Amino acid sequence: MAHFHPLTVTDIKRDTRDSVVVTLKPPPEANGDFKFIQGQYLTFRRVFDGEEMRRSYSICAGVNDGILRVGIKKVDGGWFSSWANEELKIGDTLEAMQPMGNFHAPLKPAEARSYLGFAGGSGITPLISLIKTVLDAEPKSTFTLVYGNRGASAIMFREELEDLKNLHMGRLNIVHVLENESADIDLFSGRLDREKCDALFSRWINVKGADLAFICGPEPMMLAVSESLKAHGMNESAIKFELFASAHPGRAKKKSAADGIAARGAKCSATIVIDGVARVVELAKGEQTVLEAAIAASIDAPFACKAGVCSTCRAKLIEGEVDMEANYALEDYEVERGYILTCQSHPRTDRIVVDYDQ
Amino acid sequence: MADENDILEYLSKGGKFSAPGNAPARYRAELLRMMASFVDSEMSGAAGFADWINEGPGLKEKIACTRIVLEKLDHAERVLRIMGEFGANVGRYQTVHPWSARVGRGDDIGVQRRAGDMRLNVFHYPIRSWTDSVVMNVMMGAATVIQLGDFANCSYQPLGAAFNDILPRERRHAELGEEGLRKLAAHGDAQRREIDDSVNYWWPRVAATFGSPKSERTELLRKFGLRHRSNEALLEEWRDRMSVALSSAHGSWGGNC
Repeated sequence: MAHFHPLTVTDIKRDTRDSVVVTLKPPPEANGDFKFIQGQYLTFRRVFDGEEMRRSYSICAGVNDGILRVGIKKVDGGWFSSWANEELKIGDTLEAMQPMGNFHAPLKPAEARSYLGFAGGSGITPLISLIKTVLDAEPKSTFTLVYGNRGASAIMFREELEDLKNLHMGRLNIVHVLENESADIDLFSGRLDREKCDALFSRWINVKGADLAFICGPEPMMLAVSESLKAHGMNESAIKFELFASAHPGRAKKKSAADGIAARGAKCSATIVIDGVARVVELAKGEQTVLEAAIAASIDAPFACKAGVCSTCRAKLIEGEVDMEANYALEDYEVERGYILTCQSHPRTDRIVVDYDQ
Repeated sequence: MADENDILEYLSKGGKFSAPGNAPARYRAELLRMMASFVDSEMSGAAGFADWINEGPGLKEKIACTRIVLEKLDHAERVLRIMGEFGANVGRYQTVHPWSARVGRGDDIGVQRRAGDMRLNVFHYPIRSWTDSVVMNVMMGAATVIQLGDFANCSYQPLGAAFNDILPRERRHAELGEEGLRKLAAHGDAQRREIDDSVNYWWPRVAATFGSPKSERTELLRKFGLRHRSNEALLEEWRDRMSVALSSAHGSWGGNC
């Protein structure tokens, strides 16, 4: 199971007017948990006005750089990104889960592969990680990056990309496509839409000779790029997608009240039977589901989707009444016999008995 | 920040996810359900075949059967690992249902799922002989290959990739079954009658795994990019595949197709 660990902010660098690059250090005991694969992201949590917010940001470092950092672009109205851009300082602590995500392909150091990368705005962050890692680990491979931005001042990692080009002479090509600025060649101004991609692929970039493509940016751009890649002969399974980092919805907001403040609210005494053992836990009515209360009490209850669909958390209600928020899994006859999805069940009565063994 | 409608539109146009954090709740739930059904079917399928390893007539057959059991368990583990990335309690999951339990041979459990166990219902029925296990493997093996083919390249890329890796091995399981069936069919009329009985027994049960022709859930899964073709189209392909496989193994067969 994933856990949150406190990471220390060791550096903050302003990259553009509205983005920062934050370097983080895990606590020594969790060092191993923060080894990452190129293209992965970190999920942070923070409580704002009593509500827990979770946000995910891609790691923008190569796997062998010996450094953990994320790029955070300020989004209008985005609490977390505004806070990180305006208030976060060196020495602060950020709570993060271990790296997750699958925006990568296995490295093959002996092969000479041709990679294509497409980034829109802050979609560059996981691509920085991929570019650095691939050019370092696959000495014969090349990388072509197509990078779309509003204007030149919005380009994140601009200098660092230039440095990478010089470091890996002839192996990294970068095509900037800028929306609000006219370039000498029309090809390099405008948006990364289907038309632009078709033009780039017919004149500038050899899609047929490419082995893999990685796309990260807003949804319409990702669709346009992938459609054009397919139309130019790339196999669907060679195209990897990562939704725009700041578009990660994170998990649903959750009231942080569940732990302490709920003491004022009504309680239910829930007896939970599992593997023949009964345990009594106290449950905050209207705050916790039966499953959440069981897990909070370290009861090894089964669950998977937590959304009322997979039915892994099914149990029989022996005594009392519950309300189920959603039920896409149980048949009517099961509900009639008293079965409930514990991930969706809130007690109505002051006492319930739930049996996972039946 | 993208709202849920944008994400649904993105999916319906062929967009993909590569991480659990991106998935909206209902998508995530349907994905988990799909994975649970696959994992439960592989685990219970493996549990059913394991009993018949000792009944294999020769070493070759015993090895084929052992390999099928081993690889199906491996496939379950691969997909369960992806469920774990969504927060599923992986250790607990493996022991939550008695995977080798079966209903009676003559029971009819229809298409209703049983007690939260997400295996396809065909895996609730018991195999009664070595020949029966070979026939079941040929028929359900072909269905699995067709169904997995529809899941491969699904909008959740890690799962699509896992199914792409699993698919050739499941295809091999079905081929091993067909080789076994050809051998059995060469053993004379009594053996062929037993094959016929088994085909007739398994036909409706395997056909039911394709779901109903007008399934709302399948439509939703297609909207999510988790499925691509209709239940009917997949079933049709299976019927065609079966008439080829069964008639090549067994010229006289004239069953339900």
